Amino acid sequence: MKRTRILKLSIMSASALTLIACERSQEVGVFESLEQCSNQSVFSKEECSKSERLARSEHIRVSPKYSSVTDCERDFGVDKCEMAPQRTTAGGSVFMPMMMGYMMGSMLSGGRGMMPQPLYRSMDDVRNFRTGDNQKVSSKTGITRVSKGLTRTPSTKTRTIRRGGFGAAARSVGARFSTAGKFRRFGGFRSFGG
Amino acid sequence: MRRQIIKEREDWKSQAEALGFNFHSMYGAAYWFEAACYQFTLRQIEDDIEDPCNELEQMCFEIVDQAIKKEEMLIKLSIPESFWDYIRNSWMQKEKNLYGRFDFSYNGKSPAKLLEYNADTPTALYESAVFQWIWLEQAIEANIIPSGCDQFNSLHERLVEAFKNFGINSKLHLTSCKGFEEDEATVRYLEECAIQAGIETNFIYLEDIGQDDAGALVDLDDEDISTLFKLYPWEWLVKDEFSTGVRNTEIQVIEPAWKMILSNKGLLALLWDNFENHPNLLPAFFTQDPRAADFTKGYVKKPLFSREGANVEIFSCDGLRDAVGGPYGEEGYIIQALEPLPVFQSNHTVVGAWMVASQASGLCLREDDTPITKDTSRFVPHVILD
Repeated sequence: MKRTRILKLSIMSASALTLIACERSQEVGVFESLEQCSNQSVFSKEECSKSERLARSEHIRVSPKYSSVTDCERDFGVDKCEMAPQRTTAGGSVFMPMMMGYMMGSMLSGGRGMMPQPLYRSMDDVRNFRTGDNQKVSSKTGITRVSKGLTRTPSTKTRTIRRGGFGAAARSVGARFSTAGKFRRFGGFRSFGG
Repeated sequence: MRRQIIKEREDWKSQAEALGFNFHSMYGAAYWFEAACYQFTLRQIEDDIEDPCNELEQMCFEIVDQAIKKEEMLIKLSIPESFWDYIRNSWMQKEKNLYGRFDFSYNGKSPAKLLEYNADTPTALYESAVFQWIWLEQAIEANIIPSGCDQFNSLHERLVEAFKNFGINSKLHLTSCKGFEEDEATVRYLEECAIQAGIETNFIYLEDIGQDDAGALVDLDDEDISTLFKLYPWEWLVKDEFSTGVRNTEIQVIEPAWKMILSNKGLLALLWDNFENHPNLLPAFFTQDPRAADFTKGYVKKPLFSREGANVEIFSCDGLRDAVGGPYGEEGYIIQALEPLPVFQSNHTVVGAWMVASQASGLCLREDDTPITKDTSRFVPHVILD
């Protein structure tokens, strides 16, 4: 259910980015772990650990969110979800998939400005890494080229919820009508036969 | 049809409270009243109530079918233009409806006359479906009424069946407003019916419903609401800020939007216009209709949208005027011929007939000391006995 919504949202942002994405691609590093990043020569150990740290903090913001662990596991697999630090409006727990890797920009192609971001693997496509916006990145780790659109910072996944937009008429009618301080029903029963 | 004075069950108050029927007494007077019951013959129920109800429902469907195609009808009914397409779609896609209640003036002899159709937010459902049935069984057991007594009451099974037929495969959310005890009781009872139909449910107060930045409606766990039963008038909902969350999303609402055409008092004028002289209809016209001017006395003036009888004016046959104040009426009025309620032992009685999934499914009788049925009028059980 929730996953469907996120797909819808990412389709929207994807189409907005299509024009840019067609034109340019960018060299990035895709790694499963800090250790894997450290075992190559393009990025320094320092860049690796800084990017991993930044991706991990972005993870909390951009990962898909669920209010039930079952729903999360249905999309990402059993034992592949963890509790998010966020809370629902009612104070309930929020769950998110675990970060399975991260993507960082390459200095060589001028990717200095790219914000490192977390990557996920969803059940329906376990081979590929996906961004927090559910965009396919790559099935391989290491240095690769991806469309520029994928390096954009993913959206925040905690939903902004407003409440109290229903019941305005009830409040005004209730206030004008209530005689005993208590209003029993809207469901009309009065009938006028004469 | 007659009113029989009978003995009360001694423990009915404690039973009512144990069942959560807390509003059995109102403002110091009994709302549930079992020191009397109404007795019908089977022929009266089947020929005078059940068959006309099913026929009226089909006539109502014909009105909806016309109204969605004719803008001038939607304008007459004061339905906001922003909801026309939404209402049309709800009808074209055959969105299912759950329940409603026809209110009649019926004396057991002449044809029942339709006073109005509570098609959107009827209450008094729990006491009709459950408490009235328990009364029947126990009253027979205690020899208060003869053992051959029956009751027109298949409400509970029909409601459970109707929920099954909705094909709800995710969670059903149910809502009513905070502080409206009786509405909530009705909703809680419907929730119970849905649970018995195997549906997962979640009750939420209307004021607590949230809307996310994409416009979707969510519950207090921030979970999407995909099917919503609301005991809240459509004509108010369409004016609420979050109504966009209903109109622009895939959410299924019960009652469906096309019920907006039927819960409108303008329906009574449209019915008369289409089925003039039908035995169960009273002459009724929009006030702007020249024929409305022919009424000089013996009529009732009702706002298109009105709850609890507010803003209704009665002009009796001897020229006296009786009126109830209130905040409604800005959308317009209809005029309906006066059909005084029958009087049984000084009680003015209205017969309510329940529709579940468009099938006549039960009765509820309300009586009052005055000619006007109010929310404090007594609910009196009924039996069928030949």
